[in-house]
Amino acid sequence: MPHLSVNPSSKPNCSTVWLISVLLGLLAVHTNANDVLTVPQQVSLSTNMDSQQLSISWLAGAATTFDLMILRTELNENVFYETVSVMVSQLSGRHEWNWTSVEPLQCTSLSIKIRSREGQSTSEWSNTEILQGSDLPSEEECQVFPLDRVVPVGANTTFCCIVKEGNQFGSINYGKTVMNTTRLSRRSYATTVVNQGLSGSSGTNVVCYNNFKGTENGVVVFVGYPPLPSDFVCETHDLTSADIYFELVTEPKKECRVDHWEGNWTLVVVNPLGQYSLTDSAELSHRVTPVAPENLTSVAHATNATVLWQWKYDGYSSLALVCQVELTSQGYKTNHTFSGVGLRAVVLPDLYPYEDYSVQVRCGAQQNFWKWGSWSETMSFKTSSIVPEAPDMWVWMNKDYTGQVIWKPLTRRQSRGLMTGYEVTLWSPEESLQHTEILPPDTFAVPVNLTQMATASSDNMVMATAVYTDSGFFLFWQSDVNTTCAYVVEWHNASCKWNCPVDWIKVAPGNTNVSIESANFQPGVRYDFSLYSSSSEAPELLQRWQGYMQELANLSDPGSRSYTVKSLSEGSYKFTVKAYTSAGEDTGATASIMLEPFTDWLILEILASLGVTALFLVIVTFLCYKKRKWVKKAFYPDIPEPKLPGDWSRSQAPLDVKPPHHSLVHMVERPEWDSSKEALVVIPEEDEDEDGQGIGDELVDTDEPTSLRYYNQVVDERPIRPRYPDSSDSSASSLDSARTDVTYTGIQTSGSSFVFQLDPQGSSEGHQPQADPSSVQEEGEVTGPRCNLESLVMTRAQRHPILFQSPRLLVATNPRAPGKWTPRWTMGKVAAVHPLLVPPPQLLPLSSSSLMERIIQRRNDSPHHQQQHG
Amino acid sequence: MAARRTRGMTGPDVSRSTVARAVSIAEQLRYECSILLELYREKESFTADVLVDGRLVSVAPPSSQLDTRDKLWRLHSALMQCRSLLERAIAREEEELGGGKKGDYETQRKMVKDRLSYLLICTGELLKTAGGAALLTPSLEGLELDGPTALFELKLWVYRIFKEVDYWTKTAITTLEALPSVIAKERVMTSRVRTTRSTRR
Repeated sequence: MPHLSVNPSSKPNCSTVWLISVLLGLLAVHTNANDVLTVPQQVSLSTNMDSQQLSISWLAGAATTFDLMILRTELNENVFYETVSVMVSQLSGRHEWNWTSVEPLQCTSLSIKIRSREGQSTSEWSNTEILQGSDLPSEEECQVFPLDRVVPVGANTTFCCIVKEGNQFGSINYGKTVMNTTRLSRRSYATTVVNQGLSGSSGTNVVCYNNFKGTENGVVVFVGYPPLPSDFVCETHDLTSADIYFELVTEPKKECRVDHWEGNWTLVVVNPLGQYSLTDSAELSHRVTPVAPENLTSVAHATNATVLWQWKYDGYSSLALVCQVELTSQGYKTNHTFSGVGLRAVVLPDLYPYEDYSVQVRCGAQQNFWKWGSWSETMSFKTSSIVPEAPDMWVWMNKDYTGQVIWKPLTRRQSRGLMTGYEVTLWSPEESLQHTEILPPDTFAVPVNLTQMATASSDNMVMATAVYTDSGFFLFWQSDVNTTCAYVVEWHNASCKWNCPVDWIKVAPGNTNVSIESANFQPGVRYDFSLYSSSSEAPELLQRWQGYMQELANLSDPGSRSYTVKSLSEGSYKFTVKAYTSAGEDTGATASIMLEPFTDWLILEILASLGVTALFLVIVTFLCYKKRKWVKKAFYPDIPEPKLPGDWSRSQAPLDVKPPHHSLVHMVERPEWDSSKEALVVIPEEDEDEDGQGIGDELVDTDEPTSLRYYNQVVDERPIRPRYPDSSDSSASSLDSARTDVTYTGIQTSGSSFVFQLDPQGSSEGHQPQADPSSVQEEGEVTGPRCNLESLVMTRAQRHPILFQSPRLLVATNPRAPGKWTPRWTMGKVAAVHPLLVPPPQLLPLSSSSLMERIIQRRNDSPHHQQQHG
Repeated sequence: MAARRTRGMTGPDVSRSTVARAVSIAEQLRYECSILLELYREKESFTADVLVDGRLVSVAPPSSQLDTRDKLWRLHSALMQCRSLLERAIAREEEELGGGKKGDYETQRKMVKDRLSYLLICTGELLKTAGGAALLTPSLEGLELDGPTALFELKLWVYRIFKEVDYWTKTAITTLEALPSVIAKERVMTSRVRTTRSTRR
């Protein structure tokens, strides 16, 4: 047994003391750590599937820091691994911690384990607790989660599909969009939809398909907004209950009824995304919207009518009302407003007799007016007829005192009912004899003979000239200050002398001028105007005028037989010549002429233009000939020698390119595109078949990248020829290629480098540059260089080197289907475009998608393409 | 004319004009059904891949041994089930997914339902004419009218019902046109007359 002794006289053994101290210290620390870092026990799990929240609780003594690890059980993938600080719950005495999963908790099983941590020290892991997912083999059917969820616009939701046992997963569609998915377990796949847009009223479908595009299952997600009601208002119609209206954004106007007027209301609209409140308060008398008047009736007279109606509710009898009556007659509407307590009848004045009217009524509260109520139904009535107005009559007298009494037809309103006839009474003031005649209603003139009654009167009044203005014939006369009679202005065609169709207008007393306008006035016709005094006595002629609406040429010389009209423009004219006598004018003779342009001048103008053009062309030709050297320099400069990396151009060597899979591509510019026949040719690297057996074989898509060789080459004049294995032919092509000016600087992609390698050996692998036109006819693969490469430039006009840089895109032909296309987006591959689809080379924008669309569009538009398919 | 009967038919005669009317309504219903299906697919972003297998309507299997009355009975029964299903589908849709503003789809859906009712009236008349008047109204027992609770499954169920209406509308046209009615004979007669006339020319 070791004995520990202290000898004060001896020198202390420092190293031993230090060692003991360290050991004791470590022992103390270890003992302490064992006390705190308790392994979590009794881990229990509870879930809230809607919120995707997992609640974990455990016992771990006084420990406050824990490592939590959550794994997807099947794939053992880490979902969550963090150190968290969790205090003991005072309520349960356990450590409790919540974790919200991105994916629905049903998607797959989760394994949870916990350990205590103190600084760098940790306890052992607790036993693993497993939260069972719905992808257990026992649940065979396909399931999609979360089920029928409601989320706000802009939310991100992760959906998962557990495919049916035995089926293979295909895709998850969100609406019409095919989503990217990640695998969670053997049967479970998840996708996350970000920034979700508003869905329709029946939600957005999230559908899971199997690999045969069959529908597995799906869920519906509703993406919307919290409620936002508006226009919340309460009003009463029956003076007792409250009718409540409000609107929601996506729905029709809503309404409900409360039997008693409460005075204060709160509308709370709730949906799964939130709630919104609106309040309204008012006294009943301030919110009266009367109902529509009912049972409208009328009592109609000739010039007024009484309209009566009833109210649905008795309370209206004591309600002060203001009512609008809308009266409609012959398409015109007039509004009349009436008011009164319990108003239920109004008198409509100033109506026309024998007139059809329709009427409707609406009312509002006279005091504290809130709204007009609804219009009543329309009610029609007709006013009764009364005696018509007196006709506007006049008398036309001929020279021999015969004449006619004429009057203007009464309008519908003047007649005030159906006209039955006219009564004309003729009498002499001096005699008591009266002659009365009853005439039918369509008579407007009756002849009279006053030769027995009349006395001669002179009519030698001087004629003044009536001037026609924009507002008609303006007539002015002197008024006798002492005379206050009315006037009548009569007019007629001056050439008419017997029973003339006369027109007249009555002028009120005091007026001394009048403008007479009539649609019957015609140019070139002279009219006589007569002013009469209109009184109880017989009318007295006061003044006479003559005038033209538009005076035409007047030949003063009775012997003249010609008249020249000058400064006429092109067009057709009518000339009317009338003869005048003292008695008036005749009806005239009319001649028509057409003035046509002078056609000779037109011919001269054309000839002159042609001459000037020809002269200009001669001058230009002459100048071009004189300056032909300059022209050549300016428009057809010599093409400079290219700068080639290496000496390949002289070695007649092909460019070997290793395109990725499925890009057996032939690129040849179509001969007809460029008269110079300089073109880029790409041929596939063929099998090393010395017999050339493989050349005629149909090209196949192989997994091995096939080298493409790009030859700068002159294509001969001949049409595209069959592919020859003949090396001499290839050599000739190669020789030709050495003379052209093409520079390849390589192609690079973002993901890979794609470089045209110079092959100084040229035919080291047995491949000779060759025009391979057979592929056009047989496989349809010869193409012009048409790639959407960032700096692919090929301008035929310049014939400059083609630069391939940073290829972005590409579409590969399907060698197995010549003439058809299998457009694919492949990074870093040469874009080969079907030859028959390709228009002359041009620069294309870099947008790959738009390029795709254009290619397809061109493909569809190209007549060559159609021929090819045909 | 409606009372005219033909001889030599399997089973009782049926009214020519009623058959013609029923065929006309069924053809109109078929057209309206196709639009309804299109509108529904568009509304729900359903592709043609959406599978709705299995029949919802349960009737006796078709057989050449059935006489006119039995064929009509089978058709009438199927259409009645279709209408019950359609009414239930509309109700469930309104209940679970409705509430928004009504559009073309809702209008078309109602049109199809109404047209189906007209067709049922016609087939009922034909059935009565064919001697089936004394028969009881086809039973709807056993018809699954509740539908699923999950919304997506409900949508598929509604889609299945529309497809079922479409199917039975086509069947109705086929069945009605195949009835040994005066129409068929008269059509033959008419075509013969035309042929004769054209031959004479």
